Amino acid sequence: MQSIQFKITLADRQIAGLTVLAIGLHMIEASFPSPLPGVKPGIANIVVLFVLYRFGFATAASVSLLRVFASGLLFGQLFTPTFFLSLAGAIASLGVLWLAQALPRKAFSAVSVSVLAAMAHIFGQVCLVRLWLIPVPQAWLLLSPLWLTALLFGISNGLMIQALLNQLAPPHQPSTD
Amino acid sequence: MMNRWGWIFSLGLLCSACQAPSTHTEAYVFGTLVEIQIDDAPTAQGQRASNAVLARYQALHRQLHAWQPSELTALNQAISAGQQPFKASPLLRQVLVHAQQLSLQSNGLFNPALGRLIALWGFHQTPYQATIVAPEAVQAVMSQQPSMRALQFSPAGITSNNTAVQLDLGGYAKGFALDEGRAILQSMGIQHALINIGGNVIALGRHHGRPWRVGIQHPRQAGALAALDLPDGWAIGTSGDYQRFYLQDGKRYCHILDPNTGYPAQRSQSATVLIAPQPHAGVLSDVASKPLFIAPKHAALFAQQLGVAAWMIVDAQGHLSLNQAMQARITWLTAVRGQRVLP
Amino acid sequence: MADRGAWSACFTMMQWLARLKRGFQHIDGLLVGDWLTIALCLGLILLYWPEASLGQAKKCQIRQGGQVIGVYDLDQRRRISVKGPLGVSVVQIQQGKVRFSQAPCHNQYCLQQGWLSHAGEVALCLPNQVSIILLGERGFDSLAY
Repeated sequence: MQSIQFKITLADRQIAGLTVLAIGLHMIEASFPSPLPGVKPGIANIVVLFVLYRFGFATAASVSLLRVFASGLLFGQLFTPTFFLSLAGAIASLGVLWLAQALPRKAFSAVSVSVLAAMAHIFGQVCLVRLWLIPVPQAWLLLSPLWLTALLFGISNGLMIQALLNQLAPPHQPSTD
Repeated sequence: MMNRWGWIFSLGLLCSACQAPSTHTEAYVFGTLVEIQIDDAPTAQGQRASNAVLARYQALHRQLHAWQPSELTALNQAISAGQQPFKASPLLRQVLVHAQQLSLQSNGLFNPALGRLIALWGFHQTPYQATIVAPEAVQAVMSQQPSMRALQFSPAGITSNNTAVQLDLGGYAKGFALDEGRAILQSMGIQHALINIGGNVIALGRHHGRPWRVGIQHPRQAGALAALDLPDGWAIGTSGDYQRFYLQDGKRYCHILDPNTGYPAQRSQSATVLIAPQPHAGVLSDVASKPLFIAPKHAALFAQQLGVAAWMIVDAQGHLSLNQAMQARITWLTAVRGQRVLP
Repeated sequence: MADRGAWSACFTMMQWLARLKRGFQHIDGLLVGDWLTIALCLGLILLYWPEASLGQAKKCQIRQGGQVIGVYDLDQRRRISVKGPLGVSVVQIQQGKVRFSQAPCHNQYCLQQGWLSHAGEVALCLPNQVSIILLGERGFDSLAY
């Protein structure tokens, strides 16, 4: 009997753990009532940004996308509009995160990065609404009010991430053997 | 490959390009409201272009005015005094040749030679006044049969073999100005604009990526009866009895006269025509609504003779008839009665 | 399966939150760039903010998946059923306002949006892809009169 063996590295475990955490945060968030569609603190993104700072962009991207697909599976929403909205938000915010890496760390803390990611998340979702779900020009009316909430939650999430980063010891080298 | 800052920079450019400015200018010329909307052009360029159009309109207004001293009133005086031929400017000559041709195409229902009657009914004054007209006075003018047929164009100038002809380009000038305005805007690099002269509208380009949208006034209510898209080069015009009219003894007298009776047209509340892009689309949007308004029963015939793409008439009883092309384009904003769709 | 995953995630998260609480004491405050970012975002929000003080709407347009179902006067009492991928959404019109009154979607956000009455307002049911758009008095750019 043949079996294929994967070597599971410490980094793999960390990614898995963090992804589980992101999913958990997302589920907790989903269980709270929201006053309006699209208005959510997005606390799962704390994990994604944290991963970005500690493990780099590639890891953050896999955690973010894994979170979207796994949540889709758990909630039974895979390939529904809700799922695609989540995916569009994640992709747009990853794109901006990739760009935001260029920002000098001396002037821009995690708050900036978090705010930009949150704004991009909303922008990606509204674009999808406009182009596919409800293709009317009026869909853009959603953009600004949702951006305002994204800004507020982006700041608070950013403060939390900055606090986490400050509090934790400097990053150790993940073993890659 | 572009670096990260390159991407950020181009994203910024993209965002600033989304918000191209638009200019909205309103002015009163031709005794009516002129509205020019210009999209996607720098404000300075838009303003310069609309000013150029308005300057042209002032000049046209002075040249073609039907009762204040103008080249047209000079021609009218020459005709009634028998001092002919009249050496007209190339513009006036070109306008009258075209107006004569359209008058023939409308079986004389578009008749810009009825200036004397229009004055008789009190519409050659600012502001116009309710006037009691003696049937004999109407009959006196009608018996002389003023029509565009009387005009002859020779190298020496314009002659009329009927001294009762008094030209009034009220049903032509606004449409002519639409065509002129559109050409001026285009020549000044404007790609997207909408010109509205007293309810006659012509479109240039689009409005933020979608066609310009125009509402059609309800003849008896505030607000619009319906709305439709006006694509690039299309023009729309309405003749109605609710703009220039007076009530006397409970009867409505409007400024559009029926050339067959000499009395204000009574058979319609409004007639709207939609003209496809062509060199004189604006003129047609102004001229072609008149025969339909005066003789709504023969709307389909005149629409065909004058090259009207789509039309709609609200008759004197408030009943609506329209052709299929109009039915296909229109969005109703108000409930309408007796909707009759003709091929 | 899902339950166990959720519970373990909750547990991990509690641990992190405990750490986080301690972490708050170490906030250095926002940097120059952060204020710049926040200002930029506020600018964007203001730039795209929907026109203030929208006029009273006279009509609404109902769409399903981009297709216009119809345009309705708000000055009537009426219920309109719209079929979407999840089932039938019911739109209710009365006394110049309109709302979703029944929806087959899971989260029922569309119902929570309540009554709409101003031009330019929009109510959406994303899962069932139904939208209500309130048209203003001028549903057009210019008027032919």
